Amino acid sequence: MTGKIVGAVAAGVLLGLYVLPVTILDHTDMIIDIGLMLLLFFVGIEIGLNRSVFTRIRSMGLKILLIPLMIITGSVVGGIVGGSLLGMPFNESGAVGAGLGWYTLSSILMANYSNELSTLAFLANVVRELMAFMIIPLVAKRVGFLSAIGPGGATSMDTALPLVSKSTDPETAIIAFISGAICTFSVPILVPLILNL
Amino acid sequence: MGTRLLMYLAVILLGAIIGAKAKLGDNLKKRLGSIQTACLLLLLLTMGVMIGMDKDVINSFFSIGYSAIVISIFTVGFSILGVKLVSGYVTGGGKR
Repeated sequence: MTGKIVGAVAAGVLLGLYVLPVTILDHTDMIIDIGLMLLLFFVGIEIGLNRSVFTRIRSMGLKILLIPLMIITGSVVGGIVGGSLLGMPFNESGAVGAGLGWYTLSSILMANYSNELSTLAFLANVVRELMAFMIIPLVAKRVGFLSAIGPGGATSMDTALPLVSKSTDPETAIIAFISGAICTFSVPILVPLILNL
Repeated sequence: MGTRLLMYLAVILLGAIIGAKAKLGDNLKKRLGSIQTACLLLLLLTMGVMIGMDKDVINSFFSIGYSAIVISIFTVGFSILGVKLVSGYVTGGGKR
């Protein structure tokens, strides 16, 4: 999947650089809107099919909601702190942090705002996912099982989940899935919200 | 963007209601992943085209890459720290 993602972006960049006429830009916003609506619709169907997630939240108590809340807060604050070192406006760096590792959606959400910021959101969240793969086992061992959910952000419900599960225990894996689902649901809300502050 | 945000939410909720209430065929359930991948690749291709046509972005790719690493180090670090702060409360003082 990673290869397909990198390939699609690279093909698009090459097409934009060497093949397509500039007039295509008149239609790209519409293509993005339609594609994004379709994608979110099918993400919604998937959430609807996995209703057991909400049953688990009830049985484990509301305290576990603190985990995604702290991941979201940490990501946004971390983005702002990192961005301030780079001289970026807080709303832009906070929005990049609010991507929570979902590099495809966060960059698409910023595509209509600024291409440069969209590229930064894509790269920063790709690096976050790669970093998560590298440090989750170490964080689980040295810092704690629950802390190992932090690096993955939204990816804790899919790509990072097998690694969290392997590095921790089944209960932490369930919390990671729930946390990832909440983070995933938060990205399309938080990114535009913070960007427009 | 406010209207757009509401549209995103409405579309996710519509999908969630259909996923929860409607009896979807096994064939569609099996293809959900492929459909999402196709949408995603189309979006990424379009995004790539927009990036490719923006000369400023192409010229500043390496400085953007550096910024991406700095920001991701802080987002990951603060996320770990944030969860660590509440771990004891969430587990009721357990070892996790």
